[in-house]
Amino acid sequence: MLEARGLTKYYGSVLAVHPIDFTLEPGQVLGYLGPNGAGKSTTVKMLTGLLEPTRGEVLFNGQNIQQDLVGYRRHLGYVPEEANLYPYLTGYEYLELVGTLRGMEPARLRQKIELFLELFSLFPHQHISLSSYSKGMRQRILLISALMDNPDVLILDEPNSGLDVTTALILKNLIQALSAKGKTIFYCSHVLEVVEKVCSRLLILRKGQVIASGGTEEVRQRIGQASLENIFLQLVEERDVAQVANHIVEAVVS
Amino acid sequence: MLARVKNWVGAHWEVHSRRPFLTLLRVFAARVFHGGDASDGSMQVGLAIIVILLALPGTLVSLLLFEKYGSLVRWMRGDGSFDPFTASIPDEYFFVVLSMVVTGAAALWRWDALFLDRRDYTNIVPLPISLRRIFLANLGAILLLAGVLTIDVNAGSFVLFPVVVTGSQNSLSVFLRFGFGHAATVVLASAFSFLLIFAVIGLLMAILPYSAFRRVSMYVRFLLAVVLLAFLVTGFAVPSFLGQVTAGDKHLILALPPVWFIGICETLWGNGSNPLYAEMARCALSGLAVVLAVAVFSYALSFRRSFVRIPETAELGPLPRSQFRFLPTGGLDRVLLREPVQRACFHFVTRTLLRSEAHLQIASAFVAIGLVLGAQALVSGFGPHTRKVVAKAVTGVAPVPQPSEEWLSIPFILAFFTVVGVRLAFEVPSELRANWLFALWVDAEKTETRAVARKILFGFSLVPLLPLCLASSWVLWGPQIAALHTAIFAGCTIVLIELLLLRFRKIPFTCAYPPFQSQSALTFVAYFFGFVLFSVYLPEMELWSLADPWRALFFVPVIAIALIGAQQYRKQLLDVDKQLIFEETPASIF
Repeated sequence: MLEARGLTKYYGSVLAVHPIDFTLEPGQVLGYLGPNGAGKSTTVKMLTGLLEPTRGEVLFNGQNIQQDLVGYRRHLGYVPEEANLYPYLTGYEYLELVGTLRGMEPARLRQKIELFLELFSLFPHQHISLSSYSKGMRQRILLISALMDNPDVLILDEPNSGLDVTTALILKNLIQALSAKGKTIFYCSHVLEVVEKVCSRLLILRKGQVIASGGTEEVRQRIGQASLENIFLQLVEERDVAQVANHIVEAVVS
Repeated sequence: MLARVKNWVGAHWEVHSRRPFLTLLRVFAARVFHGGDASDGSMQVGLAIIVILLALPGTLVSLLLFEKYGSLVRWMRGDGSFDPFTASIPDEYFFVVLSMVVTGAAALWRWDALFLDRRDYTNIVPLPISLRRIFLANLGAILLLAGVLTIDVNAGSFVLFPVVVTGSQNSLSVFLRFGFGHAATVVLASAFSFLLIFAVIGLLMAILPYSAFRRVSMYVRFLLAVVLLAFLVTGFAVPSFLGQVTAGDKHLILALPPVWFIGICETLWGNGSNPLYAEMARCALSGLAVVLAVAVFSYALSFRRSFVRIPETAELGPLPRSQFRFLPTGGLDRVLLREPVQRACFHFVTRTLLRSEAHLQIASAFVAIGLVLGAQALVSGFGPHTRKVVAKAVTGVAPVPQPSEEWLSIPFILAFFTVVGVRLAFEVPSELRANWLFALWVDAEKTETRAVARKILFGFSLVPLLPLCLASSWVLWGPQIAALHTAIFAGCTIVLIELLLLRFRKIPFTCAYPPFQSQSALTFVAYFFGFVLFSVYLPEMELWSLADPWRALFFVPVIAIALIGAQQYRKQLLDVDKQLIFEETPASIF
């Protein structure tokens, strides 16, 4: 079980994330939504232990993760927002690096890498340097690195970024299947359609503050909107998007 | 009136500078100076610092010569009157070599930035600008760089060297004649060096497919760096030959391009009637014309072959995939790298070092310096004293050539530059945004990173050098001296590595630079003295100890004390100073 209690982050005197509280049980998928600069990535970094919260704590199975970060991270799979990889390593070497750092036994690691590369259609490219990979291929490498050690908690920050239609569909089904296997999933995304389909719970953020949270159905009923897109626009966007688009067109043709 | 002219010039400059060609020229010139993307945390140096660094060697050498040409010193040497044009030839040659080396090094450093790449293609070609204009603008930017470099590199010596040499002559015409001859010589030498490297890049790009160019690029750069350093070494040896060249030696001396440019200054100083100097000047001018023609032609060809076809070629990474993955590393992992984190970091570091161009360049530059100095030690070790035989006490049987201090120093020189080069490369970050991986899964409390760095430094220095040292000294001096020499060399290198890793607590390449290294000057001085101690004094002591094998025991307590001292120093460090870091804070003064 992953739990955030009063999770707060200040950068100097700037409050980036107001106190956030949530509890995520095994098998649940939490959709974490918000516009750019809302504090999503800061929250993700606090949840992974890459950033220490100014106040509050993250608990995994009732224990503060800061007390045993290494132990917590053995249970963690993480896909960061941007696919920053070492360009001179091959796909295989990168996964080998991640698996070895995670302490995976070499024979099991080799077997897992080959299996995942095959499943994610990267096997023919395994010995090509990552700099030659497309954005979607790099994203698949990150997904494999997050999944290959069978983590209990998955933190996915924009995992759909750059994926082709087929892989994006696979990912959508994969998240549902993993939650059915009892994995705890924290899913941060801009693709509202996927969030709507796969997330059992929602947490919507604006300017570092939680403005809506609860079960997906519950939020839908409370806001009184049928689709997540409308909920998002009503809660988060302060501008009329159609009007902004018209203004842009006017600027283009002027 | 003046204000009106100023306004007129300002308005016209404003109009012309915004024209597409000049805008492109500005963009390409800035690109050549600033290079690639700074956001990955790779090494970036400000333009002002580059300008100062390039001008520094010529200025410093000129200042150092004040003593040599000072009238008081000459009077004390009984050298009252002298001909500045004859007396300054060795120093003029050294300036030629220095300007060629500094300009060549700068061109090698900007190797990848000289030619347009995929990013330029993506940003500029879709715009309504003709390819011809892009070609001419980049060529203009490169020639502009060549001009700025040649002037900057020699700026200090343009004025200072003529002042130093002709200062005591009290004649403006001598000063001007000397100054003009010197300036023309070093500028042409610099231009030759730059254009030669430009021509080599162009030829390689024009002849080879892009992937092959990338593959050989690093080796060619390494070779060119060795050639430049070899030129520098000739600065100490060649001047003494210049005055005694016979008809038979002429072709030998004319094989060295820096020598050609002495013909230019001699001609401008009025010695053009000398057939040797005239031939040198001819070689210099024709050499310059050839490299200019080849550079422009090959650039045009490579522009057509490489730049225009960029969309047809696959994007390539920093370096092509290495064949090192085929090396059997399983045994190494089982014996030496049992800890998973050590194993992962070791492979990551060796792969980065061998594949990341920036890191390979740093390490290669140091290895190249080591090779040149090692070669110089080898040559100077061929003196008559090496032919002597050591007393039978050493081997008891047949006379064996005596080990010379120069030859003993060769492995020390090679090891010093390899270890220091790799150690410095560790400090240069690579893809900092990707280091979250290590931040996430490496335990900051465990200090395994020093063990990894140590193993890598051993792997790059002792592993190749020890067998070479043992085998060569065995052949030269027999088994006993070979064993002693190899053992002393190994012990001293281990101490060097331990000292260089005294406060090391990062995974190589994953730590950001501090904003300003306040101790960098001090570090440079420390490395210089370290080199003198390691590569000059230690071989001297070794030579003394090899005369009697019992004396070699002297090294045992010295090495032991150094290793125990290093261990004790690390033990007394606070836990917080042992923790793994990903960002280095500037060192505090107190």
